[in-house]
Amino acid sequence: MTVLVRLALLAAVLAVWEVAGRAANPLMAVPPSAVLPALRELLLLRSYPDLPASLLLTLREIALAYGLAVAAGLACGFALGMNRLVGRAYGPMLAALYAVPAVVWYPSLMLFFGLDAASKIAFGFLLGFFPVTLAVLAGIRQVNPQLVTVARAYGAGPVRVFASVMVPAMLFTLVGGLRTGLALSVIGVIVGEILGSKRGMGALINHAYGLLRTADYVALVLMTLVLIVGSDALASLVERRARKWSE
Amino acid sequence: MTLRVRALQLASILAALGAWEGAARAGWVDPLFVPAPTAVAIAFARIGGAALAALADTLGKTAVAYVLSVVLGVAAGLVVGSVRLLREVLNPFVIALYGIPKILVLPWIVLVLGFGAAPAIFYGTIHGLFPILVLVMGAVRDVDRTLVTVARSYGATTWQLYWKVLLPAIVPSVLAGMRLGLVFCLLGVLVVEMFAGVRGMGYVMSAFANGFQAPELFAATALVSAASIAIVLALDHLNEKLSHWRG
Repeated sequence: MTVLVRLALLAAVLAVWEVAGRAANPLMAVPPSAVLPALRELLLLRSYPDLPASLLLTLREIALAYGLAVAAGLACGFALGMNRLVGRAYGPMLAALYAVPAVVWYPSLMLFFGLDAASKIAFGFLLGFFPVTLAVLAGIRQVNPQLVTVARAYGAGPVRVFASVMVPAMLFTLVGGLRTGLALSVIGVIVGEILGSKRGMGALINHAYGLLRTADYVALVLMTLVLIVGSDALASLVERRARKWSE
Repeated sequence: MTLRVRALQLASILAALGAWEGAARAGWVDPLFVPAPTAVAIAFARIGGAALAALADTLGKTAVAYVLSVVLGVAAGLVVGSVRLLREVLNPFVIALYGIPKILVLPWIVLVLGFGAAPAIFYGTIHGLFPILVLVMGAVRDVDRTLVTVARSYGATTWQLYWKVLLPAIVPSVLAGMRLGLVFCLLGVLVVEMFAGVRGMGYVMSAFANGFQAPELFAATALVSAASIAIVLALDHLNEKLSHWRG
């Protein structure tokens, strides 16, 4: 029943879009019936022959940004979580930085790393780093202290305790943070590309928008959405696996 | 402990600034990209007046967008959250719209609304709206059913039910949403100013970045960060006061 209503709603939105799009200035808005041919041209590599290269570049930027964010987030969360004084001193500072809209750092990153991939990777890293670190910090607080005491008593060092006792015990919280981190790394890379780049999906989107090729623009946005939704679906699959395993 | 925490915080900030100043003076970093803190302070004095005017412009747009997103988010959240059919049909759409990067539609918004304050306010509103909407919808769904049943059996009208039962019951979630929404609104306004602004702090920062004016850029970034941290802390303080008052 609800599924039917949902489908009907989607159909209604598409119908309204079609009617409004036909009536509107074609430079401003295009109906879905005009997007489909544009999408076909795009997928056949006629309108943008460098689509595969751009997709690949964007994916590579996301992978690098996320990999760095996870590594740094785990290390930073570990350092802050294992020592009470350090945690109480730097935890609030980290939280205060998290309250700043991240995009204020982007101009500095662009100045520092240039218009190429490096500034996008840096911004994706920055966005993904915070949720991972904060999830580690929240997770460490949930770990049963007895487990840690026993492991210590058997001679495990802090790194060993973190890797073998804490990470499995807080996996449930950690995977949530890892998933949020991926979503934010993806957003960071795409925001970076749209705010200024020469290559990648964001550059193609800006190109189509700048030339008022609105149908191509919508098609490119749909392609980028597939990439985003796909990465999130993959992450949710991994999350579910990890949660099942940890139970 | 608190004293040691404060001392460590202060010492590390001073140490970081000192190391940064030293590195810049010794020529280990290129002052074109990483200016010394003293150079940033001098730049701040130089751009102070203009930067404060730009900040006021940005915060004005943010305030309008924020009021719009709180009012719309709470109202829509109340209606959608309390009507079962609406909630079940719309929930996946709302979650999906919350999750996707809104920057993908930014070029289109600018195309339709132009380069003034309107696109910034519109984009800031849709940025701030969704976190509030999601939180309020969830909170309304989870309101204790007995409260509603009792109010109904005492003959409360629909209006009274919303105004006197549901709204007070979801105050904590509304406050949490308001805190999140504020940062999102500011983020949205800054993104539009960077992408297509002619005024405001986002425009000022990207102009400094494009002009390789690193000291001015760092000063402007510090100003925006300080402003947003101050606003969020003030909101937190207000929250605390309100929760004391609610008991």
